Amino acid sequence: MAYNILIVDDSETVRAVIAKTLAIAGVQVGELHQAANGQEALAVLKAQWVDLVFTDINMPVMTGVEMINLMQQEDLLKSVPVVVVSTEGSKTRMEDLIQKGVRAYIRKPFTPEVLRDVVDKVLGGQNE
Amino acid sequence: MSEDQVLLAKVFARVAEDLAFMFTESPDEELDEPAGNAFAKAHMSFHGPFSGTLSVAVPESMCAQIASNVLGLDPGDELFIQQPYDALKELLNVTCGNLLTAMAGEEPVFDLQPPEVTVLDRAGWDAFKDSPGTVPFIVEDEPVLLSLQRG
Repeated sequence: MAYNILIVDDSETVRAVIAKTLAIAGVQVGELHQAANGQEALAVLKAQWVDLVFTDINMPVMTGVEMINLMQQEDLLKSVPVVVVSTEGSKTRMEDLIQKGVRAYIRKPFTPEVLRDVVDKVLGGQNE
Repeated sequence: MSEDQVLLAKVFARVAEDLAFMFTESPDEELDEPAGNAFAKAHMSFHGPFSGTLSVAVPESMCAQIASNVLGLDPGDELFIQQPYDALKELLNVTCGNLLTAMAGEEPVFDLQPPEVTVLDRAGWDAFKDSPGTVPFIVEDEPVLLSLQRG
């Protein structure tokens, strides 16, 4: 089964790395969408069907946390799984994000195996 | 080296290897003069239980190599990234996050500001190299300078 995935990061390099790592990990990707900040991501989410969102936290215009908060206020968006991919290692921050509905947290740098495990966990291991 | 500098050297070496497959070494003597006259300095500030600025400077010619390595491109692959300093900024960003955890543990929350890049000339490179607290490295035969300034 192929998944429609949205990658949100202000770094073009990071978006490319996540996309490439998904391919290396063997994750079947249908449509791959990209956004440079939370505001762009919300526009994509309102226009496209997305199965899973990978997002950074610290971004200009609209941060990942602001985007997650707004997603939680929209009936159509609050059920879309969000995985945070960030350089930050604070457990306090992680617990706060889980409270806000984030499904998993990946710390940079990460391996294809970690990404694959998270996709399996969040999407129920249907990526066989 | 101070305790901060030792930790910075350790974390940067690990991140450079894991993120960019680049290996670092500490120079036995003073760094050789780099060949070019243009350098890229990425810097970012952080705020939390303590605040500061983390910076890294490299010869500008090294930015494409960092991008290729971070993206895992093979020789001959076209570098499709439009922003030449993007990978350098990401290398700094990941180093900063991992450094703060190494320094302060996993409980505190820090706000990290997006990295910015300044282009340095030879005089700027020399001034940064001679600044108190700057740690020199050799990465893939190229000189690299790192600095952590608290406050």
